[in-house]
Amino acid sequence: MKKLLAIGIFTLISVYGFSQTQKPDSLKDVIEKHEGKLNALDDRVLVNEADLSKLNKIKVSGYIQSQWESYGADLEKSNGYNNTFYIRRARIKFTYEALDGVKFVLQPDFSTGNISLKDAYAVVNIPKLKNWTLWAGQMNRPDYEVEYSSSQREVLERSRVIRTIYPGEREVGVKLEYAGTKIPLKFQLMAMNGNFTGAQAKDVDSQKDIMARLVYSVKLPGAGIGIDFGPNVYYGGNLSKNNKYFKNSDGTLDSLKSVWKYLNKNWVGGEIQIFADVLGGMAIKGEYITGINSSLSSVAATSTMAQMLASPSLYNNFSGYYIYFIKNIGPKNQFVAKYDYYDPNTKLSGDAAGNNIYYKTWTLAWQYYLNDFIRISLNYEMPKNEINASNPTDKKDNTLGVRIQAKF
Amino acid sequence: MLVLAVMASLTAYSQEKITVKGSDTMVILAQKWAELYMKTNPSASIQVTGGGSGIGITALINGTTDICNASRPMKQTEIEKLKARYNTLGVEIPCAKDGVTIFLNETNKVSELTLQQLSGIYTGKIRNWKEVGGNDAEIRLYGRENSSGTYTYFHDEVVKADYAANTQSLPGTAAVVNAVKKDVNGIGYGGAAYAVGVKNAKVKKDSNSTAYLPTKESIGKGAYPITRFLYMYLRNRPTGETKKYIDWILSAEGQMVVTEVGYFPVK
Repeated sequence: MKKLLAIGIFTLISVYGFSQTQKPDSLKDVIEKHEGKLNALDDRVLVNEADLSKLNKIKVSGYIQSQWESYGADLEKSNGYNNTFYIRRARIKFTYEALDGVKFVLQPDFSTGNISLKDAYAVVNIPKLKNWTLWAGQMNRPDYEVEYSSSQREVLERSRVIRTIYPGEREVGVKLEYAGTKIPLKFQLMAMNGNFTGAQAKDVDSQKDIMARLVYSVKLPGAGIGIDFGPNVYYGGNLSKNNKYFKNSDGTLDSLKSVWKYLNKNWVGGEIQIFADVLGGMAIKGEYITGINSSLSSVAATSTMAQMLASPSLYNNFSGYYIYFIKNIGPKNQFVAKYDYYDPNTKLSGDAAGNNIYYKTWTLAWQYYLNDFIRISLNYEMPKNEINASNPTDKKDNTLGVRIQAKF
Repeated sequence: MLVLAVMASLTAYSQEKITVKGSDTMVILAQKWAELYMKTNPSASIQVTGGGSGIGITALINGTTDICNASRPMKQTEIEKLKARYNTLGVEIPCAKDGVTIFLNETNKVSELTLQQLSGIYTGKIRNWKEVGGNDAEIRLYGRENSSGTYTYFHDEVVKADYAANTQSLPGTAAVVNAVKKDVNGIGYGGAAYAVGVKNAKVKKDSNSTAYLPTKESIGKGAYPITRFLYMYLRNRPTGETKKYIDWILSAEGQMVVTEVGYFPVK
């Protein structure tokens, strides 16, 4: 016991003695020690910052449109139901800005039973040509209503003429774009496969379709008015591989002389958007398009002459337009009235038009912006069709829609 | 007590609150404006916050601020968002002028730089001070975060390419000035009002041009090569208290504040 006590006392004395002989660090040492630690931390922050800046180059955005629709009696007959809930769009857009002036965009759509690729393109600033960019991949066709995002559009669906001539909105090709900063001008020129509906990976013929659009902007800041306007043109064709016969817009039968020749697909248009700051924002937007569209005969290569004559390709002179009136009411509400017209065959009317009848559609809508992310839309679409022997009454095809859109 | 409570609530009701958000470069100016205006207009309530021009513009588009301060013009893509949401082009009000100032440490031998040299320095092509007439020492770059209008303006007008990866991004011009003050080999850029305790480099368009410091004279006549406007943006044309406030900012009294803070009057 005595031995243990002696060892304990000895240990305590030695520890005390050791601590007394230890010299405290000088202030300089302490500062140097901490400076070293801070420098190490600084280096780590720099490394983390560099990693974070890489992440900053990726932007993720998207939106979900969930809606309920109620249909008129004729749509109920064809659909089998008069109302439904559904997911209209569910999209995520990934944008990666690899370098200054080099951007990649990928946008899939995940709506129920319809997972599809919407956008997949690269945008590159052309060196030494300020304001010029080159786009390559699958992207929107250069048209105002096509390019105007569904997440921003004030009515639930695009106009009938746009849906018909630009199905799926996208095309595969290359686009050259000039967006002036000093000159308020935008110019787009796109070469594309043509005929793209979202399914085929490659072109179906050798000829590429060309589209061009020019938009000039005028600003009257004193009056709070801005006007964007300009022409657009589409030049393309459909290759008739099996049937040399085609029917003109007026119903007369004609021939290409031989197969493997192109049927024209050409139209011109003009657009205007007027924005005015009148007791809050207001806009009037419109576009008119007219030209000739073609659709290919469905006969097989082995068909007889009689079969070819019975089902020729079609040339249709068409015209269509739309006009929006939009009025913001306070910061959260918006009223919209839209009228659109589409005649798939302007050369024939009445009974001779058969099912190529025109449609005049009124749409009334109300938007409520709950916050930065949520928009609620009430939309009532009232199409009125041409009456003829094939369509003796105005179809009961009005549609009421309520949509909740969540955007991030 | 009840009468007092009613009076207090009525006073609160009669106060029109104006929110101002955006440029960090302008935040000292905007705070000074708000402070002085509220002194002479006690019924007005003005709340000023910074965050950067990009943040301010986003807030304007999202409807969470009445006025956005920006040290760069709005981009076309931002105007398109405003059009889509509010059907207006926005209202742009240039409210002051600034010379983007190049900050150097006071011990730095270099006293002037061309725009091309600045671009070379900030893209990382020029890495040593001796390449621009200084000591044999590595250049340390300080800059702003990418939400800053000054970052964008300097990028678009001077750098014209990607910033060098070793540029240290700092939150606010005051932080940039502070970093350069401590770092003998540092260089930074930012609003003229913040240049305290550092050396301002003269800037010239090219090697044959005259070099200028950002002064009232050089900025007034547009000789300083990196002269810019500072802006206020609104969604709609201003009315009511907001209009009164903006009119005051553009008045001689409001513009005097611009000079006091260290920027330059718009007229």
